Amino acid sequence: MSGRFPRVDALSKACGAERFAADHYPEGCLWAGAFRPGAAHARVLAVHTAEALALPGVLQVLTAADVPGTNLQGIVHKDQPVLCGDVVRHAGDPVALVLAESREALERALGLLRADLEPLPAVFDPREAMRPGAPRVHAGREGGNVLMAAEIRKGDAARALAACPVVVRGTFETPRQAPAFLETECGVARRLPDGTLDLIVSTQSPFRDRFEVAQALGLDPLSVRVRAPYLGGGFGGKDGATVQCLLALAALHADGRPVRMAWSREESFTAGYKRHPSILRCELGADRDGTLRALRCRMVLDTGAYAHLGGEVLELGMEHMAGPYRVPHVLVRGFCVYTNNPVSGAMRGFGVAQATFCAERMMDRLAAKLGLDPLELRLKNVLGPGEENACGVRLTGSTEARACLTALRGHPFWTTRREWAAQAPARTRRGVAVALAHNAMGYGGGLPDMAAAKVELTEEGRFRVYCAVSDMGQGNVGGHAVLAAQALNQPPGELDMVLPDTERCHPSGSSSAGRTTYTFGNAVLKACAAMTDKLRTRAAQFLLCDDPASLVLESGRVVWPGAGKSVPLALMARFLPRDDRVCVAEFVMPVAREVSGSSRGFVLGFPHLLFAYSAHLARVELDELTGRVRVADYFAATDGGGVVLPQGFEQQIQGGAAQGLGLALMEDCASRDGRLLTPDFSTYLVPTALDLPEIGSLAVPSHESSGPGGLKGVGEVAMDAPLPAVASAVEQAAGIRLDAAPLTPERVLAALRRTRKKKP
Amino acid sequence: MTIRFTLNGRPVALDTDPGRRAVDLLREDLGALSVKEGCGTGECGACSVLLDGELKLSCLLLAAQLEGREVVTCEGLGDQAAPHPLQAAFAEHGAVQCGFCTPGMVLAAESLLRENQDPDREEVRRGLSGNLCRCTGYVKIVDAVQAAARERRGGRRKK
Amino acid sequence: MTRVLLPATLPELWEALAASPGAPLLAGGTDLLVRLRARRQRPEALVGLERLAELRTIRRQGRSLRIGALATHAMIAGHPLVLRHAPVLARAVSEVGGPAIRNMGTLGGNLCTASPAGDSLPALAVLEARVELLSAGGTRLLPLSGFLLGPGRTALAPGEIVGAVRVPLAADFQVQHFEKVGRRAALAIAVVSLAVLARLEKGVVAEARLAVGSAAPTVLRCPEAEELLRGGRLTLSALERAAKAVRVAVRPIDDARASAGYRRQVAGNLLLRLADL
Repeated sequence: MSGRFPRVDALSKACGAERFAADHYPEGCLWAGAFRPGAAHARVLAVHTAEALALPGVLQVLTAADVPGTNLQGIVHKDQPVLCGDVVRHAGDPVALVLAESREALERALGLLRADLEPLPAVFDPREAMRPGAPRVHAGREGGNVLMAAEIRKGDAARALAACPVVVRGTFETPRQAPAFLETECGVARRLPDGTLDLIVSTQSPFRDRFEVAQALGLDPLSVRVRAPYLGGGFGGKDGATVQCLLALAALHADGRPVRMAWSREESFTAGYKRHPSILRCELGADRDGTLRALRCRMVLDTGAYAHLGGEVLELGMEHMAGPYRVPHVLVRGFCVYTNNPVSGAMRGFGVAQATFCAERMMDRLAAKLGLDPLELRLKNVLGPGEENACGVRLTGSTEARACLTALRGHPFWTTRREWAAQAPARTRRGVAVALAHNAMGYGGGLPDMAAAKVELTEEGRFRVYCAVSDMGQGNVGGHAVLAAQALNQPPGELDMVLPDTERCHPSGSSSAGRTTYTFGNAVLKACAAMTDKLRTRAAQFLLCDDPASLVLESGRVVWPGAGKSVPLALMARFLPRDDRVCVAEFVMPVAREVSGSSRGFVLGFPHLLFAYSAHLARVELDELTGRVRVADYFAATDGGGVVLPQGFEQQIQGGAAQGLGLALMEDCASRDGRLLTPDFSTYLVPTALDLPEIGSLAVPSHESSGPGGLKGVGEVAMDAPLPAVASAVEQAAGIRLDAAPLTPERVLAALRRTRKKKP
Repeated sequence: MTIRFTLNGRPVALDTDPGRRAVDLLREDLGALSVKEGCGTGECGACSVLLDGELKLSCLLLAAQLEGREVVTCEGLGDQAAPHPLQAAFAEHGAVQCGFCTPGMVLAAESLLRENQDPDREEVRRGLSGNLCRCTGYVKIVDAVQAAARERRGGRRKK
Repeated sequence: MTRVLLPATLPELWEALAASPGAPLLAGGTDLLVRLRARRQRPEALVGLERLAELRTIRRQGRSLRIGALATHAMIAGHPLVLRHAPVLARAVSEVGGPAIRNMGTLGGNLCTASPAGDSLPALAVLEARVELLSAGGTRLLPLSGFLLGPGRTALAPGEIVGAVRVPLAADFQVQHFEKVGRRAALAIAVVSLAVLARLEKGVVAEARLAVGSAAPTVLRCPEAEELLRGGRLTLSALERAAKAVRVAVRPIDDARASAGYRRQVAGNLLLRLADL
């Protein structure tokens, strides 16, 4: 691999040579598919399998009765059946699993399966679901439909608000956004003769998957092997079991044959995990000069039929409701509620995308009410290093939010905003606006954010890094290669990178929460440091050098610069037994120790210590005739700590902003009575190349001393600012306030017609 | 039924159901795994191939329709030892993140550059408008296509 | 197993249709194959038209263009004859889907799918195109309005195919306007669309033809609006009057993409774009 290609995986992917989980067709494999009756809430009286079983090429049709173990999967709460027996709780719930010899036989069989269902009263609005007497999604569950009710409190918000000279209010709604990765949920599984269940899955959580599968199916977790190739996208939707338990179940019934499962796009929409729709109500109080005083707000999340990571999304969202600002008095109440809608789970931004819409639009409201410049209002209140955030966490990590804002202030898009708007062509309104996002990194309090990296000097004298966190496109494998190469002073192309394999690598948590390059990268650096120490010491023996610290690693050898001598790594490797050529090191992300706020009701994850910051600017054009919003230009200034991989940094910012713009403009898994109105790519719209602008990115100077190479995770933060930035720009353009996303042409036109505001 | 066609320059003869989707045939029987399925309904472009030189969607083509034709997939443009300029440009310019859309994107770009050797950014976006990417926001893909176009023209810029 | 018949001549086609009377006709596949997948249908046989080269030509025939039913949207969008004599059609079909869809989808297919949102249809309507239907028994010619009967319904009889579309030369219409409103800029189904032909004499409208797509069961001409424009200039106030008439004429529905109210409002609004031409 030459230095021409900054990422280790880029060329193989560009040539179409990289093998994803979707690309495995093992010899003799069976085809597995789930039958999902499509009722939002119903009692299952019978599943008729005889017709399907009679088809040639159909080997098995499994139902709940065939599931050993608990038949319950879940990440924190085990509430989701692998195959539903008595009740289906959302339109994607499966009641049968078909094993067939071919794709065609599988399709035919799925078309012949029938279920006798008795509809049950269902609930689709989370506010309704919270009322006493609402239909229960999980019968007999203590707490009813409320998965989690929580509170974050600092100071006395009620009293402070009452004393504020200025209070602004707002209610906001965000939709169900689908991760819509190009590679759907998929994998292969096989039960080996020794009883091991061998899975290759497009998964963000290979290590945890073992436990989810084992607990659901009554197996020993250590008898489950999971390998994660490069994912064709994840964005949170592949965190936790998607196909894993179904595949494992199939493998148990496949008589040793491999089984393949790949969800269709329609199935991915129906059964996959999506962003929590939210309803956010907020009151923000301030002094007349714009100094923020108090925030009181309420977040309601629709978690759909199963918990997945709903409580954790609630926690993180609530933690971000005040924005990255100094707010002395805060009261945030949150509810994560079951409904009979499709399942909400983890998606990039994880509650923060929702919260940021609210927080930033409230800042705009306040600026408008006070007649203050929205950027200046933010600068006035933005947190700096060492200050206490809205949850009472002292920001001891890098905090360059101010620099992000000042980068926008000086940008020509901002300084020329009035002239640009005045030059709007016929029938077009133009607006320019900014939004500031912050996004915590890592798992947060109560859940150790740990990684264990193994670095090996192979028998041939090459370095091998055992990556344990999935690469879903963020380029962390490449990032770890660069970090290791720098630490070991080797060309990155000379390193062997092993992709996550629970048998060869060490548990390091999921690929999520913006944590992978930070946590695993730190572990890699520690392991490389240990390896370097070891090799210098051993080389010193070879070279008869009495000062190992004076030796240096170079490409393929250890060198004694003073004496002009060296020893090849390949030679050293021959003399070292395997367990002497391996270094394993762990790293745990630091957590907040000084917390003056309090929380109630969270299980895991409160609070967080380290944050990335990103200030975005959107130049927007609005067509008066159709209501269509076009983002003409976009710019993001981000604090991601030190930048180890400039191209990788930009990739994350541009990609995150693109998904945020999709949320702002067009993405919505609309449903009626629990059935998706958008079950495919013709109805669920993601932006094409003609829908997005050029996205400029600037990394503001910063350094996170606890991060490898000074970096912080920037995988999520860029996702959070586009929606408020675009909504604000639309308001600037046409004087209309849209508090529900996405900002569809229809909503915009309706607002325009209501306002009938004259062009300035 | 036997279907005969050329795949990346090599003759192929396959006994198969003529009503089978070309994407399945290419992936499962012929190992052309660069051709991906993203949706099955022609809405994402991940299954793109060049059929007699024209950009088409293999999820909406039947095996019988390949008879006597030339099929080119991303593997046919180049490999890691000798990458096609577009493949190299994608890798170099950060146009590849998860990589699942990439083979289809490369073929769409190739199809564009055969028609237009010096596309501006809007023209590149239009040429790629049938290929969804969920990771990149398209900016670096446009960069890569323009860079490859420049290289093909021998480094001369007209626009 | 599905039998896929690919006749190369018209006589072979009639034979194939006679032998497999229920077999769906496959042109570009961009509608048929998607529909079959959605309905989980596996027909016993399909008759593919792609080898009928004579149905793919585009040529001038007297005072019309004869566009073969198998001409793809890409072919039509770039064809010199179309660009010269009926540019509104080129504009319309260049909005279909994306590049690959345009390489595959055909004009005949767009007609036979008869979606209320079909992109070519408003252009064909203002061009007053006629549809040439072929069968073993001969040829018949129908006006577009006689061919499109409702959403997904055409006058195609069993054993019949669309052979060609005849488009009267329209280069004398200086205004050849098409706008499609989708919920995104590519790969979008029209939520509402408008095609306009206007012939101006010294700035005064001698003749105007308007057709709205996706706002009625089939593409809709708006004679009342056309009449309002005739004899005047394309001023904003004239267009606003005509827009009102368009809004009265359309019969849109609510669906997942948009509400009837939005379609009604925008169908009229699109006319105002002409003030900026």
